Amino acid sequence: MNIESRKRELFKEFAPRLETTSIKSKIYIGSLIAIILVGLYAFYLQMSKGQIVTGMRDNVVWGIYEVNFILLVCISYSGAFISGILHFFHSPWKTAIARIVEIITVLSLLIGPIYILLCMGRLDRLHYLFMYPRIQSPITWDIMAIITDIIACFIYLYLTFIPDFAILRDHCEERKIPKWVKKMYKTLAIGYQDTKTQRNRLHKITRTMSAMVIVLAIVAYSVLAWIFSLTLQPGWNSTIFAPYFIVGGLFSGVAFIIITMYLVRKFYKLEKYIRKAHFKVGGIILLILAMLYGYFTFTEYFSRWFSHKEIDTNLLDKLFTRYFWEFILANYVGILVPIGILFFKKFRTIKWVTIASVIALAGVWLNRYLIVIPTLETPYIPIQDTRIDYIFYSASWVEIILSIAGIAAFLLMFALIGKIVPLVPMNYILAGQSAPKTVKEKDNKEISE
Amino acid sequence: MKSNLYNHTFFISIIAALLLCTNGIAQENDLSNYSLRFGFKTVKQADNSRLLEVSFIGYNKTDRKDKVPVFGAEIQFLNILNDEEILLGSSKTSKEGIAQLILPENQKYGTDGEGYINLRARFNSTDALSEEEEDIMVKDLHLDLNLSEIDSVKTVTLTAFTMDSLGVKTPVSDVDIIIYVNAMLSKMNINEGTISDGAYTFDMTESFAGNTKGDLTISSIIEDNDEYGNIIQEKKVYWGTFNKQIKADDHKLWTKAAPIWMYVVLTILLLGVYVNFIYTIVNLFKIKSEGDNLPVEPKKNYTVN
Repeated sequence: MNIESRKRELFKEFAPRLETTSIKSKIYIGSLIAIILVGLYAFYLQMSKGQIVTGMRDNVVWGIYEVNFILLVCISYSGAFISGILHFFHSPWKTAIARIVEIITVLSLLIGPIYILLCMGRLDRLHYLFMYPRIQSPITWDIMAIITDIIACFIYLYLTFIPDFAILRDHCEERKIPKWVKKMYKTLAIGYQDTKTQRNRLHKITRTMSAMVIVLAIVAYSVLAWIFSLTLQPGWNSTIFAPYFIVGGLFSGVAFIIITMYLVRKFYKLEKYIRKAHFKVGGIILLILAMLYGYFTFTEYFSRWFSHKEIDTNLLDKLFTRYFWEFILANYVGILVPIGILFFKKFRTIKWVTIASVIALAGVWLNRYLIVIPTLETPYIPIQDTRIDYIFYSASWVEIILSIAGIAAFLLMFALIGKIVPLVPMNYILAGQSAPKTVKEKDNKEISE
Repeated sequence: MKSNLYNHTFFISIIAALLLCTNGIAQENDLSNYSLRFGFKTVKQADNSRLLEVSFIGYNKTDRKDKVPVFGAEIQFLNILNDEEILLGSSKTSKEGIAQLILPENQKYGTDGEGYINLRARFNSTDALSEEEEDIMVKDLHLDLNLSEIDSVKTVTLTAFTMDSLGVKTPVSDVDIIIYVNAMLSKMNINEGTISDGAYTFDMTESFAGNTKGDLTISSIIEDNDEYGNIIQEKKVYWGTFNKQIKADDHKLWTKAAPIWMYVVLTILLLGVYVNFIYTIVNLFKIKSEGDNLPVEPKKNYTVN
């Protein structure tokens, strides 16, 4: 098969989405921008009036911003983890989902840390974290981990984009693509022409980076968990928190990837590449992770219940009274319902797997909420100010709007990236259609012009 | 337009009258409300000088917390001998109502047959204040403080005696004494006892750090003794026991500097990762430079990994 002509066909297939923007897309992007603008207004309010416009007070210093941060960062780490696994082990699944996973990884990692900044009362002192870091503090480790991970994910994402940029560069001349985009393809393709040396070199560094991204994800996951578990707070001080976070993160990450796959498949008309089989396997992975996550959740609360520590008892009382429904939704519905759906073969359809993923993702978000808020509402020493809004947390409209704006920013950036590069990597499709050979085997082949 | 004030002339007048008469009804500091206290004491100080001190203070009869020191009152200090008054000196009360006179070690006092020094402090009457006078009788006690190491034991020995005009020393007994160590802000009681046959001895505890030079100031005090009054004796001695200097813990979990292994692990981790970043970027530049050296016409046949 002539790869050049196949490449041309592929470009032809994906080019319309890169060339034109439909009215629907314009409305969609406009709506997202409008939501982000409202979010910016809320941000302005918070910056000018301070944390008083949020539900955060002296005791509950972290609210839904922190919950969003944990969820997004965990999704990012699990994205990096899955993407690394796909690349490192040359999984054939990478054709369908690798690009989506990589984009999710980078975008989550860009938006997630913004939420932790919003938790800070004195953003003007942010640089103190770098000026006076305390090496023993998990916060310092987390800052290092996040910064390092962002750089790693960016480099890794870029490496996987290079062959596609080269294809786009070589074929964009004959299409109605804006000049700046053509120029961008040319710059970002860095003269990649798929020679044997270039290919080998790129393969080598991508493989190294994929291994490193897996390790980094595990380290960063653990560090994020240690921010909580290395304190003596009830509900946080736990030895299994790091693996619990890793399993929970993978569970939410896989659920998020399945939801994104569903949306991308539907709105980008990629049924040809993202098939039912992908959802089926995704569903099985989600099932396994749901069972693991359920086991960890049970162990966590069970051992806490048995500890007979007064403060733990107070926390559990709170979880089963004030947060009863949230607890049921997070830890029963959010785990058992996905297991119930995915356990039966006949439910492993695109629709049901996606529904199970939505329930799982919502459950994990609520679980994170129950990890952060009730603990902060259960201090060792009662606070002096006994106003109800000082004791109990409820998210203000500013926090809700900024949370929605974060989702809008994610979707907007995803849509914009989808306007620049195909969401299914063309080079992987080409590789999948040619015989699955290792680079070393290919090395023996001459590259014909 | 007529002011509303004119409608309430009566009330306005009452308020104005009340305001104006405030000064008239203000209470003056009338001395008849105060009872004067004239206190006289003597202290034989560490350098064997003798301090004569009068406190002259008026206390409010109804509110005991309200006290007014008598300032600038001239107090005469006298030595009484057979109804004869010998002026030792005079002093004016300070803002705190205290008048002091320090008599040197070699001051000669007249004593009665039992060896008592009769001292009197007097305030002569003025137009406002009546005469005040108080007498005290003390024997001149010689208190010696000896600090020595006996068989490597730091030992404090106090000897107390009186001396007659012929220089004959008579040891004293049944005199309570308190021994202190001077601290930065106050004195710390380290021993209490009673002088017997003119002596009192005890072993010093080893746990005092002393000042920066290792010196300890030890004070022995006889307080308000019926016969001898107040006597202070103190000495400085190089007896400070420096405990092993507490060094700030370095490189521990809760210290300023982290444990060494943390730096090592973090450095290895970060170096490993960032070196890999650099390696990747260098390789990207190599890919670019190779691409730049290739013909401008792109390759026509791609194979990808």
